[in-house]
Amino acid sequence: MDLYNVPLVGDSPGIDVRIRKLTKNYVDFVLSNIDLSVANSLRRVMIAEVPTMAIDMVEFYQNSSVLADEFIAHRLGMIPLTSEKAKDFKYTRDCSCTQNCHLCSVEMTLHVKCTEDQTLSVTSKDLISSNPDVVPVLEDGQDKGILIAKLNKGQELKLFCVVKKGIAKEHAKWSPCAAVEFDYDPYNKLRHTNYWYEKDKQKEWPLSKNAVEETPEDSSQPYDYNATVKHTVGSLSPETIVTQATKILQDKLEEVQISLENDSKPAMNNSFEEENEYFKESYF
Amino acid sequence: MDYDFRTLDRQNRAINPTDSFEYPALQKLGAPHIDSFNRIWEESGRNRPPLIDLAVKDLGKYTIFDRKEEFTGFEHGNKLTYWIEDVQLNRPTAIGKENAKSLLVYPAECREGISTYKGKLTCKFCWQINDKEVHTELRSLGSLPIMVKSNRCNLYGMGPADLIKHHEEAEEFGGYFVVNGGEKVVRMLIAPKRNHVSAIKRPSYANRGPGFTMFATQIRCVREDQTSCTSTLHYLNTGNLMFRFAWYKQEYLVPAILVLKALCDSSDKEIFENLVQTDINDTFLKDQVELLLRSLKSYNANNKYQALKYLGSKFRVVMNLSEDVTDAQVGEHLIKKVVMVHLDSWKDKFNMLIFMIRKLYSLVANEIQPDNPDSMQNQELYLPGFLYLGIIKEKLNDILAGVRGVLNIELRLRPASVNFANADFFPKLLKKVNTDVGQKAQYFLATGNLVSKTGLDMQQTSGFCVVAEKLNFMRYLSHFQCVHRGSFFAELKTTAVRKLLPESWGFMCPVHTPDGAPCGLLNHLAHKCEVTTFTERTNDLERALSDFGVSLGIPSPQLAIDEMKKNNSKDSKIKSRTQYLSVQIDGKIVGFCSDKQSRMIANTLRTMRCKANNPRNQSSYYIPPTLEIGLVPKMNGGQYPGLYLFSNPARFTRPVKNIAENSIEYVSPFEQIYLEIACLNEDIRPGVTQYQEILPTHILSSVANLTPFCDFNQSPRNMYQCQMAKQTMGTPAQSLHHRADNKLYWLQTGQTPIVRPVLHDSFGVDGYPNGTNAVVAVLSYTGYDMEDAMILNKSAHERGFGYGSIYKTEVFDLTDEKSGTSEPTCHFMLGTDVQSDSVREKLDLDGLPFVGTPLVEGDPIIAFFDSVRQKTIIKKYKGEPGYVDTVRLVGSESLSATSSELQTVQITYRIPRSPVIGDKFSSRHGQKGVCSMKYPAIDLPFTESGMQPDVIINPHAFPSRMTIGMFVESLAGKSGALFGMAQDATPFQFDETNTAVDFFGEQLRAAGYNYYGNEPMYSGVTGKEMKADIYIGLVYYQRLRHMVNDKYQVRTVGPVDPLTHQPIKGRKRGGGIRLGEMERDSLLAHGTSYILQDRLMNCSDYSKAYVCRACGSMLAPISLPSTNLVYLDSDNEGDESPRNKSELEKTRNAERELLTAAATNAALSTANSSLGGKVGMDILCKNCKKSDITLVAIPYVLKYLATELASMNIKLNLLVK
Repeated sequence: MDLYNVPLVGDSPGIDVRIRKLTKNYVDFVLSNIDLSVANSLRRVMIAEVPTMAIDMVEFYQNSSVLADEFIAHRLGMIPLTSEKAKDFKYTRDCSCTQNCHLCSVEMTLHVKCTEDQTLSVTSKDLISSNPDVVPVLEDGQDKGILIAKLNKGQELKLFCVVKKGIAKEHAKWSPCAAVEFDYDPYNKLRHTNYWYEKDKQKEWPLSKNAVEETPEDSSQPYDYNATVKHTVGSLSPETIVTQATKILQDKLEEVQISLENDSKPAMNNSFEEENEYFKESYF
Repeated sequence: MDYDFRTLDRQNRAINPTDSFEYPALQKLGAPHIDSFNRIWEESGRNRPPLIDLAVKDLGKYTIFDRKEEFTGFEHGNKLTYWIEDVQLNRPTAIGKENAKSLLVYPAECREGISTYKGKLTCKFCWQINDKEVHTELRSLGSLPIMVKSNRCNLYGMGPADLIKHHEEAEEFGGYFVVNGGEKVVRMLIAPKRNHVSAIKRPSYANRGPGFTMFATQIRCVREDQTSCTSTLHYLNTGNLMFRFAWYKQEYLVPAILVLKALCDSSDKEIFENLVQTDINDTFLKDQVELLLRSLKSYNANNKYQALKYLGSKFRVVMNLSEDVTDAQVGEHLIKKVVMVHLDSWKDKFNMLIFMIRKLYSLVANEIQPDNPDSMQNQELYLPGFLYLGIIKEKLNDILAGVRGVLNIELRLRPASVNFANADFFPKLLKKVNTDVGQKAQYFLATGNLVSKTGLDMQQTSGFCVVAEKLNFMRYLSHFQCVHRGSFFAELKTTAVRKLLPESWGFMCPVHTPDGAPCGLLNHLAHKCEVTTFTERTNDLERALSDFGVSLGIPSPQLAIDEMKKNNSKDSKIKSRTQYLSVQIDGKIVGFCSDKQSRMIANTLRTMRCKANNPRNQSSYYIPPTLEIGLVPKMNGGQYPGLYLFSNPARFTRPVKNIAENSIEYVSPFEQIYLEIACLNEDIRPGVTQYQEILPTHILSSVANLTPFCDFNQSPRNMYQCQMAKQTMGTPAQSLHHRADNKLYWLQTGQTPIVRPVLHDSFGVDGYPNGTNAVVAVLSYTGYDMEDAMILNKSAHERGFGYGSIYKTEVFDLTDEKSGTSEPTCHFMLGTDVQSDSVREKLDLDGLPFVGTPLVEGDPIIAFFDSVRQKTIIKKYKGEPGYVDTVRLVGSESLSATSSELQTVQITYRIPRSPVIGDKFSSRHGQKGVCSMKYPAIDLPFTESGMQPDVIINPHAFPSRMTIGMFVESLAGKSGALFGMAQDATPFQFDETNTAVDFFGEQLRAAGYNYYGNEPMYSGVTGKEMKADIYIGLVYYQRLRHMVNDKYQVRTVGPVDPLTHQPIKGRKRGGGIRLGEMERDSLLAHGTSYILQDRLMNCSDYSKAYVCRACGSMLAPISLPSTNLVYLDSDNEGDESPRNKSELEKTRNAERELLTAAATNAALSTANSSLGGKVGMDILCKNCKKSDITLVAIPYVLKYLATELASMNIKLNLLVK
């Protein structure tokens, strides 16, 4: 096989993407004519390597709530923020600023004090962002936001957050998607697995919903088939995740290709490694 | 079967607490503790005085004479009679709380203020001179610790709303004491059943003296005030019987026949008739009785008076009564205090002793079996309140005796000063006696040690109290249900006492006992087992019995003779004679009835008892609903027959269903073994079965009940779970902010389990979550899950799985620093002498840290100014990184107006403990494991629906342990999660026809999942489907408190022992772990010599030593400054040339000086350099006077050994080549 001409996603005329369903935070698509490993790579990248924005640092000025500082900080970190513009931000570590700046981060503040007898809920809606592109995700106008803490009369919460760009490989809070469903070969024609059953396989094992894509077991068919479905948490739209993931995957494969070329030509300098410090650690 | 999580209900109740408790079952858990304590101060039964009054009455009056002759009327001078009356315990109030809103003190204040929750104890001292007018004086007896939520507690009667206001748990159930800020529980202990004669066959009894045999009968008699006195009747092979009792921890033996005579003015014939009764054909019995009566002759005690006088003369010194008492009165006093103390009437005492003797003869004749003291049938409880009263009573007695002691000293030393007529005399006398009962009680609670002169009829003197640790809710719960067998039995070599006997069915939990040393000795009550605390009224019962035909007189031999005659005349052949059973109520013989009659009576009583629970019951007799109706029918070689009725407090009792009446009835262990109690419907045998268990889960304790599907597990696993539930990092309390415990573990992400038994709800465990629902896949993946390790999903961990904190509290008490003066010399503040910014950043001007400050080791934590040294002293933080959570300013308990300055501060640190590799987790099925890896989510296997496990465990954890319950929980959890419902996991709900797998399998199938809970999974790394499908579901996981951060021990080199230079012990001090012989052996066997060298030498006591090549000595080489080298060398060389004596002397002196100089020098390093040829010290053998010396690496202990051997005149030579 020609190592230097591996068909990349999008390049290959064979790869076929068919979207079965697309909603605000759900996409269901079928990939065909693709290698299993590439499909799985796409899954992995979607889970762990599509950058989003999340609160990364919290400074507390006042916290008289019953929850501890680090507890609230952790809760804040888990709040999904709209990250469509994440790709325009730099990673803080790559940014030329000393601490953080508007190029690599967004600042948020929260100041709530309960003055009434009733318990006051502090939600993600109370977070005030310095950048309108990066705000807590709200489903719709009815959404009350995500509960952060509850305050009793006289309790106060005042804090300052720094939102940074990151990927889920570093911390799960940067994950753009909730779950990625994945299925191939619903009739187990390839015999990759054995369905264990007590009495009756048909009765005990439900049929996958992707079974409609294939015919029940008759003759072994040569073509490979993948279905990937994913749910997002709202920070990115599903289509963005998929396209971005594809792009990242392409970049990575490109990198592999370049480094292979470099290996075969040892004279060439491999200075790109320093430039892409981060990808050196990646799994590929 | 499925039910709701009731989240909104709980939330609503938390926001708007009401006045009624939501979990009555929880409130009941502390009942034995609180009720028994309440009985001391309020009525002990219907229309009965409080126990404290009975106890005080039992103390009696003390009499003393001044031995002065001027006043006539009494033989020994003036008579002073004094006693205690009217002991009162007040609710806890503060002293000197002028500015406080209320004078009442609440437990939370004591917890936070490191003080004791106690109330003033007062009594009236009464005295009388020459039997004339009575004087009284009210005196304080100190402050007595009060049980939380008892009737003397300020929280008494409060509901959740008020409890929350007073910083308590909403569902606080009390039952403990707050002593020095800590919560102490008095343990319930197993006691021999009171007022019941038990037969004992113990080989060690034969060694008690000449004639003693292994046979005895024993009775633990309990007075009305719940103090007890045990007496034993020994059978001697001379035919004599010895009555043994203890008086002030001293044992005494008295011939039983003497006691019999002293009890009743009865002739020998009467005694004979009483003892033989209708057993006229029993020659053994008749012979024994004859021997017994004959033995009386030697004491010359032919009637009651003579017997009492004889006893009195022997016990006069021991009883220590006043001078005017006659011998007969001393004897009377002895009988009153020692013999059958549960009975007032001497006739009853006599009858009971007769019964005891008859039972002993039966045992000797091998007609009956000895009673098993380890069986619950013959057991009851020492209840905390009753024990507490015992201590108070004894201390009161000590005061009374103390007064006499002080007076006697006065009479001896200053007889003139003793003047009873003086009104001030007795109060002054009282002042010389320590009357602080409260302090003694506090000592008891704080240490658990019983300091007692009488021993309180207990077998142990320590271990009575334990700290009610709030490690988590279940740990806390179980403290109140825990019953200990007694520390005496812990040392016993035999394991018989630890056995689980069928008699404990329904009363003690068969599952909930620790493994290891306390196994079987530390048990827990079944959750429906109740303990009686009321003294019941039994006169109706007596009336009922006599109405049922129980004859009052004893069945005399004449009765038997008459019956025989009648039978003979009728010429019937083998008509069995009527057997007469004794009928007893609480150890009092109320009469006799025939065997046949007894069954009828017992059955009637049972029906009446059952109806007693019914409020519409119109019976003319009052039968206590908890009455124990123990009918032991006549049988061959069984227990001694009789109808034994018990109504007394401190008995176990539990509800069962009476099938005929279809209502709840309480049964107790003594009767239970003779009852037919069916468990399930199919167990009912028509006509035979009388009772049925209400629910099969009633046999389990509260904690054991919370194991889901525990009926599917191998039984030891449930025991392990009971242990582990108690070591879980959970939610210790809701009032976390108002607690100042030394150490509290808190789980941040606690969840309610999806799969839970019914009792989870009735105990309100949802308020105190103990773990997290985790997606668990059972597969062998990456090898990191080998040997009970578990793989944690890194993303799950990042989202907060198992995140916990430790709250540690440190107390800073400046009064410790104070040097004796009354004015404080230290003041919390940051003095101007501290300018460092790093300190000023962390501490405020008042010397206290800011709340929320992150801390690492060495940070300043608190500052105070010492006005003596004129210096600010800063305390440093020790330990892991954490935060300042709370700073509490603690006022002093005895606040005087002058020194109200703050002297005590508590700081609570919050130490975050995120799960790390090496932390311990477990499911609720005794399946514990250590986290071995936090695996990235993308590399973990996933299902078709995109689920990734939070936890991966190895399938090998199951076959040998057989925790099927965990599989079922996984199934149930999965379907519960899919349908959003709570799953009922109460044990014994499924059976062979209706299996759990079917039930949950159907649910899963309905949700579109595999029937058996399996799912195909894909490798996260390659995306390829795995060869086998994987069992995956939801299991509730607990994080255990054992964490590597508290345990890891690592060192290369570090602190060493000064003598051996080997590493010291102890993790805290940075010591090492012993690499012992066996470890060494295995390293040898592996041939890993470098590791050996490294462990035993380099990392241990590696050292270098000089060895003389010539003589091989390690001790002879000394180092000398090289300047002297020439001189000494010449000395060596010029050995042949004789020197004059003085020169030699000089050399020696110089050498000696040099030696000491060398020793004081930091020798080796400089010496080393000299060996390297540099200027400095030089090495020389003191022995050979040569410098043919080499440096070798040796373990330092070798040098030590050489020195030790040298001290024994043994030389150690090393051959150096």
